[in-house]
Amino acid sequence: MSRSSRFRRELRGKSDYRLVSVIMLFFFSAFLLIALKGELHWQGFVLAVAVPALIYIATMWLPRFFPADKLLLSIANFLCALGVLVLYSTDLIKGTNYGMQQAIYYGAGIVAMLVCILLVRYIRYWRVFIYVIAFCALGLISLPLVFGTEVYGATNWIIVGGISLQPSELVKLALLLVLSYFMSQRKFWPWLIFAVFCMGVLMLQKDLGTALIYYIVSVMLYYASTGNLWITGVGLLGGAASAVYGYHAFAHVKRRIAVWRNPWMDFENTGYQIVQILMAIASGGLFGVGLGLGTPTIIPVYHTDAIFAVICEQFGIIFGVLVLVMYVILILRGAAIARSARRSFHGLLAMGVTAMLGLQTFVIIGGVLKLIPLTGVTMPFVSYGGTSLVSCMGLIGLLQGVSTVNQDDLTYDYEVSRSRTEESSLPFADNGE
Amino acid sequence: MKPLHNRFRLLTLLLIGLLLLAGLYGVYSITVYGNRWFSSSRNLRYREAKNSVVAGDIIDRNGVVLATTDEDGNRVYQADEESRAAIVHLIGDREGNVANGVESFQASYLLGFETTLAERVLTLIKGEERRGDDVTLTVDSKLCTVIVRAFNTHVRTKNKSGAAVVMNYKTGEVIALVSMPVYDPVNITDEVKDDVQHPFWNRATQSTLPPGSSFKIITTASALENLEGIEDKVFTCTGATLVEGQIISDYGNAQHGKLKLSKAFRVSCNNTFAQIALTLGDTALRRTAEDFGFNDNFLFRDIVVENSVYPTENRTLVEIAWSGDGQSQVAATPMHMCMVAAAIANGGVMMEPRLLYNVTSPSGLVRLRYTSRVYRRAVSEEIAQTIQGYMIDTVARGTATAAQVEGLTIAGKTGSAESSLNGEDVTHAWFTGYIDDDRYPYAVCVFVEEGESGGGAAAPIAQAVFRYIQEYYPFQ
Repeated sequence: MSRSSRFRRELRGKSDYRLVSVIMLFFFSAFLLIALKGELHWQGFVLAVAVPALIYIATMWLPRFFPADKLLLSIANFLCALGVLVLYSTDLIKGTNYGMQQAIYYGAGIVAMLVCILLVRYIRYWRVFIYVIAFCALGLISLPLVFGTEVYGATNWIIVGGISLQPSELVKLALLLVLSYFMSQRKFWPWLIFAVFCMGVLMLQKDLGTALIYYIVSVMLYYASTGNLWITGVGLLGGAASAVYGYHAFAHVKRRIAVWRNPWMDFENTGYQIVQILMAIASGGLFGVGLGLGTPTIIPVYHTDAIFAVICEQFGIIFGVLVLVMYVILILRGAAIARSARRSFHGLLAMGVTAMLGLQTFVIIGGVLKLIPLTGVTMPFVSYGGTSLVSCMGLIGLLQGVSTVNQDDLTYDYEVSRSRTEESSLPFADNGE
Repeated sequence: MKPLHNRFRLLTLLLIGLLLLAGLYGVYSITVYGNRWFSSSRNLRYREAKNSVVAGDIIDRNGVVLATTDEDGNRVYQADEESRAAIVHLIGDREGNVANGVESFQASYLLGFETTLAERVLTLIKGEERRGDDVTLTVDSKLCTVIVRAFNTHVRTKNKSGAAVVMNYKTGEVIALVSMPVYDPVNITDEVKDDVQHPFWNRATQSTLPPGSSFKIITTASALENLEGIEDKVFTCTGATLVEGQIISDYGNAQHGKLKLSKAFRVSCNNTFAQIALTLGDTALRRTAEDFGFNDNFLFRDIVVENSVYPTENRTLVEIAWSGDGQSQVAATPMHMCMVAAAIANGGVMMEPRLLYNVTSPSGLVRLRYTSRVYRRAVSEEIAQTIQGYMIDTVARGTATAAQVEGLTIAGKTGSAESSLNGEDVTHAWFTGYIDDDRYPYAVCVFVEEGESGGGAAAPIAQAVFRYIQEYYPFQ
């Protein structure tokens, strides 16, 4: 039994190694390809080395120090690197410098991931610490109300010393930690107050896309921990009611819905973005126009909201669907980690992270494909943006943290059962269990 | 932990379901709407691609090159002005004035957006210029020229706007599609741009108009479906039926006296069909119209057709009565009325119209070949055969005698539809019919704006088409 499982683990280790090698090779050649296109671009050479190096550090080197879920790591890192690649390819078309910046954010994301892993792995006394996190989060998310900057109709940015930050992205980490802790302790009221406060602030900032994701994740966490369908239903109804209210109260919500229903009607103004997105996806066809080719940069905010359309135009819809499949695998891994957690706090945390990433992916990709109205949330790991990337890698860190704790628990069980077997004189003693 | 795990599983399934839904929806919308999005005149991409890719040729069914790219990268059309003008609405021009011409609707092929990676790498290695695919159409461009010539020679169609569609009713292949007036794609003068007749407008596929009496094909089908013994019922036409205080009159205020359905169809008696429509009721008639494709969202693979309308709500009896005669907000394109006749000819099965014969890559590989596809069954074979008899009778000794051709059995139905154009009441002429002969399975629809009488203005054009087919087409 133990021999076969160890064998399987070794085999898996080998296939992980191969997977990571393929990913690294893919990005190495992709960046090189762009760097050599037309005139030489030194940035391309730097990225061709730096990005595979970052992938290696995050997926092969870091896991030496603690047991990690390498498939999860590989996928998250692939998506991050894909973002850098796509952004860099559009840089050459438009002359921007997003690719290099995103690579730096990616590095910062890996650090954030490490911090979150350590947080979950080594902090045992959450009782006090969770309140520190909660109050910091509440302060942070309220900052844009005091001195925020309006970007695309929502006041959810602050600028500190030349660096712009989106607090609602960072607070996601705190939200999941706080909500799953309170829920695991059956503390309903602090849970509710924290969730409602966060969402209220987001509504005030008119950041409705993020508010929607916070809201659904909160409801999902509530349902997961209590299983109380009655109150979950009431929560959902309340959400629906406020959605109807929002539709009538905010002019820009109404406009977005109208544009979603028929973007071609007001092509020149409000429908412009989604129409450009659809035409970009259609231009890509099945196999895409090719890396670094096409004209995806005519889509407004191609680098954040519409980056999935850029991927579809350059790599084709088949690749786009494959990217979706990667998110699906990510969800499956996340759910597996949640299920093997021994403590309900860890289980809820892992499930919350999974729900957060899955929902955000659905909201943005569904929006880009015109399945639902387009809202300005980022595509996890891929969209341009430092805060977003750092927060997504932080989420992966939380998930990995739970995973390492699970692995430690398993190892502990194994040690205990082995010592028990050694103590007893009977062979196959554990068969009786 | 067990119930917790079950709920985790449920949430996971939900999340995965959402993502898969998005993926499926994406693939679905690309396959169904992709070409429509791509070929939108607002897409700046294919205009840019024209600078880096040698656009492929457009060829007709007889191998005539309708559009090609010369050595300097300019788009070249046929040398003969009459020929290139006749197919301008099918093909489009360099400026993209015509909506959904092959030049723009198939741009993804013509400009090589569908070439595979291997092919692209190969061209790169060989150092050749990137070339788009060649597109072969099912169209007979010479027939288009014949139609334009017929429009220009007949007294009652000269200088008028209109449209004509010819299709193979067994396969759905569009053989000719003409919208009048035509213009020269090479020499677009200000005169053409400012013309009040709007030459850029493709009337065959974009204009939805009241089909008038040609809609009686559908009213008849509905009557045969829903009213038992209708064929033997005797109607009385006094020349004026009073419905809610309004008079339903006949074309030229004719009085047909006592008559049966077959004669009413032949002489196109408005009073009889108004009575039938009232007997049928709005729902039954609408259902039959919808069987024929009215109110459907036409999503044909390679030809964009405006949706036809049979009104759905708040209808007075007068409106219902007039609907039986194809008036009162009932509207269809000439393309769709051609499909209606084709469905009757094909035993009630409506084929999906198609324009693309195949797409071949620069290396001669066939990239795409459409097969014929059934669009929908419109009526039962039995009813279709009955209506076939009526339509043959109409050409033999009814309103459509002007479409007769010696040596061929022609079936048809005329229409004179009242409509308002720029505030004036005008009468449009329609003819929709087909050759009742397995060797020539072709249906024709002719529409003449302000043509006054279907039999007088539209039928002669159809006759010219039939004659051409009889003369030039080999037995199939």
